[in-house]
This record gives sequence, C-alpha cells and structure tokens, in this order.
Amino acid sequence: MDLLTGLLTTAVLAGGVLALAALGEVLAERVGVVNLGVEGLMALGAITGIATVAAVPSPWLGFLAALGVGALFGMVFAAATVLIKANQVLCGLALTLIGNGLSATIGRAYSGMPARATFEGVAIPLLSEIPVIGRAIFSQNLLVYLIYVILPVAVSIVMFRTRHGLNLRAVGENPAAADAAGIPVTLMRFAYVTAGSALAAGAGAYLTLAFVPGWSEGVVAGRGWIAVALVIFAGYRPLAAVLSGLLFGFITALGFVGQARGWPVAPAFLSMLPYLGTMGFIIVPVIAWQRMRRIMAAPAALGLPYYRDVR
Amino acid sequence: MGPYRLQRFPSAAPGIALLARLGAIVLALLISALVLALTGAKPGALALQVVTASFGSQFGLEDLGLLVTPLIFTGLSVALALKIGAWNIGAEGQFYAGAFAASAVGLFLPVAEPLSLFLMLLAGLVGGALWILIPTLARAYAEVNELITTLLMNFVAVLGVYYVSTGPWRAKGANSTTARIPAEIPEFFGSLHWGLPAAVLLALLLALALARSRFGYEVRLAGSNPQAALYAGLPARRRLIAVMLAAGALAGLGGMVEVAGTVHRLQGGLSNSYGYLGIMVAVLARGSLVGVVFSAALMAFILNAGIILQTQGLTTSTVLAVTGLILFLTAIGDELAHYRLVRDARA
Repeated sequence: MDLLTGLLTTAVLAGGVLALAALGEVLAERVGVVNLGVEGLMALGAITGIATVAAVPSPWLGFLAALGVGALFGMVFAAATVLIKANQVLCGLALTLIGNGLSATIGRAYSGMPARATFEGVAIPLLSEIPVIGRAIFSQNLLVYLIYVILPVAVSIVMFRTRHGLNLRAVGENPAAADAAGIPVTLMRFAYVTAGSALAAGAGAYLTLAFVPGWSEGVVAGRGWIAVALVIFAGYRPLAAVLSGLLFGFITALGFVGQARGWPVAPAFLSMLPYLGTMGFIIVPVIAWQRMRRIMAAPAALGLPYYRDVR
Repeated sequence: MGPYRLQRFPSAAPGIALLARLGAIVLALLISALVLALTGAKPGALALQVVTASFGSQFGLEDLGLLVTPLIFTGLSVALALKIGAWNIGAEGQFYAGAFAASAVGLFLPVAEPLSLFLMLLAGLVGGALWILIPTLARAYAEVNELITTLLMNFVAVLGVYYVSTGPWRAKGANSTTARIPAEIPEFFGSLHWGLPAAVLLALLLALALARSRFGYEVRLAGSNPQAALYAGLPARRRLIAVMLAAGALAGLGGMVEVAGTVHRLQGGLSNSYGYLGIMVAVLARGSLVGVVFSAALMAFILNAGIILQTQGLTTSTVLAVTGLILFLTAIGDELAHYRLVRDARA
C-alpha cells in the first residue's frame, strides 16, 4: 500500500470516531445545551461495545447497546441540566468523570484482550477497484457510510430544510421566543441532548469495535474533548462537523504512518499532533478572519438554562 | 395548590446552599456504598478500614497531608480563575509543566541547596504560567473558549513529561523516571514537608489580597459583572490575563512542590489527576479561597480511600467515578438551593 492510500484509509477510519461524536454534540448544542460529558460517554460506549461482543459476537449489537447506554446516561444528564437546570459545565465534567471511572472499573476484566467481534471492511464491487480512493473509501466497514453520509445528510436536511429543524434552532437561539410560539422547549432540549449522548457513546463503540479494536484504560484519550472543540471549529454545522472529523482523522493518520515508517520524530510528539492541531484550528481562524466570528457564532442561548418565569 | 409554593430566587441562601452541598456528598457516598454492596462488597467494613487507615496512625495522617498539598495548589488555581469567570480545566497540564520546569532546574543547574530550591520554585511558577499562556491570550484577544484550550494542553503536557522521563532524562537502570533531584523541601512531621503549611498560608494570603486590595476588587467585579466592569472603565482584559497566568503559575507551583517535596523525581504518573480533582476542590469551595483548604482535605480523604481500597479490588478509577457523582449531585444541589417555600399570594 503506498503512502497516500495508507494515509487516507487510516484517516477515514480514525475520523469516524470524531465525526460521530461531533455530530452528536452539534445536536445538543444546537438546542442550547453544552454537553461536556462526551469524553465520558465515549468511554462508556467503548466498554459497552466490548462487553457486549464478548457475550454475543455481533459488532452491530455492540454498537446498538452502546447507543442505548449513551441514551440512558444522556437522559440522566438531561434530567439534571434541562429539567432541574443545574450548571451544564459542572454536570458535563461530572459525567466525564463518572464515565471514565465506571468504564475503567468495568473494563479491567476486558483489558488487553482483542475485541471478540469487530466491524470488518467490505469491498464494494467495482468501486473498490478505483486506485487510492477505492481502498480508502469503498473498502471500509459499513458504519463509515452511516457516519459520513447517511446521518449527517439526514441531520442536515432536518435541521435546515424542515419546520421541525427551524423550531430546533429557535430553541437554541431564543428559547423564550420559541416557548411563546408554542414550541416545547424542555422536550426538544431533553430529546436532542439524549440523542446526542447516544451518538457520543456510539462513537466510543466504533472506536473499540472498528478502529483500535479492543479495550484498554484511557483508550478514548481526549477524543471526546477534541470532538467538542470540532463543533466550534465547524461553526455548529452537522456536515462541517463530520468533515472536520475527517480532517482530524487525517492528522491522527499522519502520526500513525509516521510511527510505522520510522520518521525521525519521537512517537510522543506525533501523538501530540491532534491536540495541538485542535488548538490551532479553533484559535487561528478567529484571529485571521474577523468575519469568521459572526459566521461561526454559537447558538445565542448556548449554555443558558431557560426559566419560563424569568424573562 | 396549598398556601405555600416553591419559588426560585436569583441567589441561594448560604445556609441552604451549604446544606445542599453536604447532602450531595452524603448522598453520593451512600449511592456508591449501595453499588458496592450490590457487587458483593461490605461497605461498612470498607468504610471502617478507610477511617482507621487514614486517621488511626501517623502514617495515615502523613499520607493524607501529602495528598492535600497538591490539591490545595490546583484547587486554588481553578478557584482563582473562576473569580474572573474563566474555567481553568488545564491545572493538570500546568501542574506537569511546573514539575517539568522545576525538575529541569533541579537536575541540571549546579547550584547549592537553598538557592536551587528557590530557582526551582521560580521555574515551577513560570512553567505553569507559560502552559496557560496561549489559552489566555486566545481568550483575551479572540474570545476563544478557554475551557477547551486549557484542557487540550493537558494531553500535550502529559505526553511531553512521559517523553522526557522515558527518553532523554531517564535515569540509568530506571524504566520511566528521572534521577533523584538533589534539592528537597525539608520535612517537619514524618514525611510531611513544608509544602503543606506553605499551601495553607498561600490560600489565606490570596484570599486576603483578593478581599482587600483594589486589584482584587477589580477582579471580582470583572468576574461577576463584566458589563459593569467595562462601563466602569476597568482594564478587564489586562486583569483577565493577569489572573489566568497567576492561576497557571499556582498549578505549576503545585507541580514543583510535588517533585521537590514528595516524589523527588519527574515521572509519567506524577499527578494522581490532581489537576482534574482541583476542579472539584474549587467547585466544592464555592468560590472561597480559604474554603479550598477544607475541600482539598475532603478530596484528599476520598482519594486516599481509593488508594487504601486498592487492596480490596477497587481502583483509583472507581474513586474518580465517585468524585464525579459528588460533583453531579453538588451541581444539582446548588440549583435546588435557589428554591424557597413562599406563601402563595393567590391562595
């Protein structure tokens, strides 16, 4: 496999983790809730996937179980932040601690073992024969198409082309006005925070069932936080979030290929690339182009709880 | 509807808030005990074991003191940044950066003891401040969310310290640690060193400075009401930069004290998540810098419990989950403390 094919193949595979988690965070933030629990949810999803396939060797079942666990913890988070209206930053950090701690505790029994069932690449007839992209795009596991095409396109259409999507965005921009217009603010927030959490956990299962594959403590390694940052970088747009996931997959792939080919850089420095890259990508654009601040602006009510009687 | 109803007030009554906080901690520990009991452990016996191991011997108290020290520094770091409305989630990275800089001085600068300790202290302060410099400037000049940038720097710091301690600075015969740093903070009670009293004193001095000085007043105003601060003509941006850099320096100082007083070497697992637990310490202290000392003591006890219970098949990650649960219930308790029973005028 030549360098470019290897880079792109790994980029698509690695980027899927970030793309799915970032897409989930877009859902939550568009209705005005910052979910900083992504890192912990991914860890929970990662161990759920591994534990499920250890019992029943079906990666799809593992992925579904992770979605379920993510939705469950998402509901707990939403109950605290949307219903009770507790501080979103604190609840998110708490969810990350809980998720990391629980998954590491449960995960000790599975540590170091390869996953019993994984998502395998499927070569699509004819298309997979195309040089470079045939291998990079059309020989991947089937989840990749769900993550890069089906989900983001569906979310994008619903969010920007339907009445429901307009309502959804209104809840994140101006919940008081949305409430006055008869949109169920609390229900919308609860539902989308839950859905976003499910996707974050799904990203964790993708990580341990398709990308690594296998569990070890700390396997998520900050990818949840990078996903949260990518949402800012992507200007809260679903398609852009998925594409920036791919971009970061590429940066990760650069580090892997560098290690595999013995580039004269210490592996620790190559591993720093995604974090430093994320820093650069959320800082540089707003400094370089003043206009970006307006285009990339966050939903106006992001992070603010909505009290009906305090307007 | 009865003659009374619940109404939300803009501020929580301090007594009720404190009560909600204690309730959250007790509830979190009860839930943890319940989960432990369900998995077949005996929570009562485990709790007794933790209490006797922590308070029953001089060694237990020493261990506790050694854990409190770094938690005060990282807790102060997070709490100070919160005073001006900034989330420093990067105390972990600044702690490592301070430890790294101090170790560089301690290992490679050939000077005698009192001076070398002083230079290590300076290096720790500068290392921590430098580690938060980019997030600070990005927040001050481009309004980039400091919560995420400070956090991302943690991963870079951990990788960097891992690299030097397993690579260029690795001691002969060791796997993943540097040689022993010659300069040491003197001890005063068993293995307890002067870092602990220094940390407590620092908390008191900082609280005093912030409460009594003009600078402190401006910081508090800029933090609680940025619009008013702007209207009053405060140099809010300069205050933000100063406070965030100081927060980084505090965490870096914690790292220096850890290598010079407790561990004496630079190594990968130097911080027991002290930076992340510092967030808990600051939040539990509810914005009080003196309160940081007490909440650091509480967190140290919980962390120590995890270390003691390792022999019982629990890990420090279990403790992380328990602290997360405390934080979660504390956030909920804080919000609920805003509600009070009032006589319903409509009744």
